[in-house]
Amino acid sequence: MQRRGGVLLLLAMLGSVLAAVPLAAQSVPPSTPVAVAPHVPLRRPTAAHLQDLRSQHELQYETDPVPQASVWDLFWYRVQRWLGRTLNGSVYQHGGRYVVYGAFLVAFAFIVLRLLKVDLTSAFGRNPQRMPLAYTTEGEDIHAVDFPSRIAEAESAGDYRLAVRLGFLSVLKQLTDRGLLTWRPEKTNADYLAELPAGPLPVAFRAVAQQFEYAWYGELPLTAAHYTLVREARAALLQLLTTRAA
Amino acid sequence: MENESPSLAPDSPQLPPGASLPNVPAGFAPRADLGKLQASADAIRRELGKVIVGQQTLLDLLLTAILADGHVLLEGVPGVAKTLTAKLLARTLAIPFSRIQFTPDLMPSDVLGTSVFRPNQAEFEFRPGPIFASVVLIDEINRAPAKTQSALFEVMEERHITQDGTTYPMQEPFLVLATQNPIEQEGTYRLPEAQLDRFLFKINVGYPTTAEEVAILQGHHAGFGGTPLEAVNPILSAADIQGLRQQVRHQHVEPKLLEYIAQLVGSTRAHKALYLGASPRASLALLNGAKALSALRGRDFVTPEDVQFLAPAVLRHRILLTPEREMEGVSPDDVVKQIIQQLEVPR
Repeated sequence: MQRRGGVLLLLAMLGSVLAAVPLAAQSVPPSTPVAVAPHVPLRRPTAAHLQDLRSQHELQYETDPVPQASVWDLFWYRVQRWLGRTLNGSVYQHGGRYVVYGAFLVAFAFIVLRLLKVDLTSAFGRNPQRMPLAYTTEGEDIHAVDFPSRIAEAESAGDYRLAVRLGFLSVLKQLTDRGLLTWRPEKTNADYLAELPAGPLPVAFRAVAQQFEYAWYGELPLTAAHYTLVREARAALLQLLTTRAA
Repeated sequence: MENESPSLAPDSPQLPPGASLPNVPAGFAPRADLGKLQASADAIRRELGKVIVGQQTLLDLLLTAILADGHVLLEGVPGVAKTLTAKLLARTLAIPFSRIQFTPDLMPSDVLGTSVFRPNQAEFEFRPGPIFASVVLIDEINRAPAKTQSALFEVMEERHITQDGTTYPMQEPFLVLATQNPIEQEGTYRLPEAQLDRFLFKINVGYPTTAEEVAILQGHHAGFGGTPLEAVNPILSAADIQGLRQQVRHQHVEPKLLEYIAQLVGSTRAHKALYLGASPRASLALLNGAKALSALRGRDFVTPEDVQFLAPAVLRHRILLTPEREMEGVSPDDVVKQIIQQLEVPR
């Protein structure tokens, strides 16, 4: 009973759908093409504009633009041509390629060493370059100083401190001239003392150096009596040098 | 080992035997009487010499640091008497001493101290840590992490600590002697640059010579190896040290030498081999150290030799090499030496 009712309900729904289709078809009139678009005026460029466009380089489609070759391009062109000839040539095929491989290997090694900042100067028997300092040291060349006159000037002016300094520098010059030490502005008195040969000379030099240090670095107020002692010590050292030379 | 520097001292090795001269040239009267200072230094050397064999440069630098009011970092391989030297030096000074063994689990409060709650008074009480002493030996300083290292920044530079908003000053003199081993990497931490800069000197403690090692063996064989600390007597009190430091501050420095120090330290900032140059604190350290060393050498003024002698110990821990130079095996001492060799001595 229940099954029959379901079938009747399905048939009723189908019937209503079929009845509705012609009604929907009748409600729309048959479509006919209608020209609804308004008139569009075509824009045409002027002759002058067209001529202008035709003359533009980018709009030349018929022929490929020929780039202007620079000197650099010509150089590379020639290099490439030379490489091509070489690599295809008989010399390259008969061992020349190993030269090329070697050149590439050397270039690669050079780049790696440069990146690692390896200093190779010592490999060629030369000492590595010293790292420069950011400042300049202006030294006083003891070989260019007229010591006798400058010492006399300082003595007459009563500037014993300066006289002691000049006297000590003159001693360094004389020791250098005799090859007993090597004068350099960076050396200390202890360095010079270490350079002197054993014997009475280091003792005499040390006495002079000590007086210089007390006068120059210690800035002790010097009297004429002090300066007499300094002159005596310096004379004793020079006497030793004279004796040694004799 | 530290390089021995040629010196113009009376017992200079350059002079022939028996040729020693008085330290002051005849007829020249120095401005200051350094007799007590030299006598005290000689007495300390003698006391330390009872136990320590050789290491004269190390002892000179330690005495210089005491007089210059600076902290010292001792670096050396195990077994070269770093800790023993520091303990003995502390014993020659009759001032409070403490020792801290730095370990990876050490906390800042273990060093500085901590506040504990007192229920009876219902308030916190500060318990000072072992840093509260006049001589503090920090053994194996590079075994503590950065957190603990940074706890030392304030106390090493400003000589006080701040805890819970309260500042606790250290008693004077205050000297930190730290040791570290350069070889071992496992379980160690590199000291921060800020902390390294607070050390006046970094002293490389090297191996003894064969003759010195024979002397060590002879002493040990004779039974002198049990309790060496007992053999060393205190020499200087806190007041003595303060007095000597006051004397050192008045050492004369010629103006050109100040320029020399500034140029020397400044050269490290523009050197191609260095990634980091030394700070102005290094210049001050070099000046103070040179003043103390010149006094120890019996002069009341500084010479370029004093500056050159101390430059490696002052600068080596304050400069950083570029990685390229480090790979090439260049050491900070090489760079310092090169700078010294290129810098004109004021004369």
